[in-house]
Amino acid sequence: MGHLSGERLYEIFARQKREDRLEHIGTVSAPNPELARVYAWKTYDEATWFEMVVAPRDAFRSVNRNEVPFTLHPAETA
Amino acid sequence: MSKTRTDGFKSADALPESAREALAASLLSLADNKRILGMRYGEWILGAPTLEAGIACSAMAQDEWGHARILYATLKDFEFEPNVLEHERPADEYLNSELLDEPVTEWPDLLALNLLLDSALSVQVEAMTESSYEPILFKTRKLLEEERFHFEHGRGWAMRLGDTGAGRKALEAAYRKAVGPCLRWFGRPDSEFVRQLVDAGVMNADSDELRRRWRERITPVFTEAGLEIPESGEAVVLEWEDWDADRRRAAAGALDEVTLARIRGDKNRSMLMD
Repeated sequence: MGHLSGERLYEIFARQKREDRLEHIGTVSAPNPELARVYAWKTYDEATWFEMVVAPRDAFRSVNRNEVPFTLHPAETA
Repeated sequence: MSKTRTDGFKSADALPESAREALAASLLSLADNKRILGMRYGEWILGAPTLEAGIACSAMAQDEWGHARILYATLKDFEFEPNVLEHERPADEYLNSELLDEPVTEWPDLLALNLLLDSALSVQVEAMTESSYEPILFKTRKLLEEERFHFEHGRGWAMRLGDTGAGRKALEAAYRKAVGPCLRWFGRPDSEFVRQLVDAGVMNADSDELRRRWRERITPVFTEAGLEIPESGEAVVLEWEDWDADRRRAAAGALDEVTLARIRGDKNRSMLMD
């Protein structure tokens, strides 16, 4: 991810059908929530989403683990 | 041809002649601007400040090309040959804004096209969402849905650059150059051309009303980002001396030859010739 100063990571969750659960589908780096929404929608356009939401990664609080930064993808811990 | 409603036109040949010509010119202007705006977005896929912004440029380019395709195809109803429109016209027959004549070399200038010009095109399309020309109706919805994100991209970047003094200055300079051509693009206040479209119910706003709607959309972004753009004020008197009403742009200049060859696909076609 290109990382400029002032950028934050945003986690993206989406579901294809109303009855589906929201699933974590990816991450974007963005300077503000407005651009995070646009980047999420335009980057993860492989499906026709019923709903997509974004949240800054640093808004998540770990409940049971001490490691930081928080990761949703095990592969990203490297 | 038959009308399905008392005020609806099912096809172009049902329209009054003057409105038919005006609508054809209007659709061609939208198509050409979108086709070339798509090129300008596309030219930034690899040069945008971040990977995400590059992907957004790529997506916006594809959206614009799709919209242009839809609009060129619609012109078949006006007895234009889409293939000729897309591949065989010289630069001076393109109805593109002067803002699109040359490739954009600075990111803030692309953001000016993104927020200001792209929104102008959308304001014009929105004025046709209840058009009496029925073939355009279902096409405007998909197009405007996609455009929502183009506007948000322009807005998000305005806020981003508005965060720093240097960013604000660069963006102000870029916006200030682009505002005049965008405001003029809607046409002269007394434009006969626009009046024909409003009288026939094809569009629901004259050029001054379209300018008002555009300002209403753009001005809050200037405010949010802390930008001073005096050129966009309602008191500003637009100059029309160098206005080419047929091409809806400044009289001088035309699309650059390199871009022209690329949008027409000249190279691709030469490979297919015997």
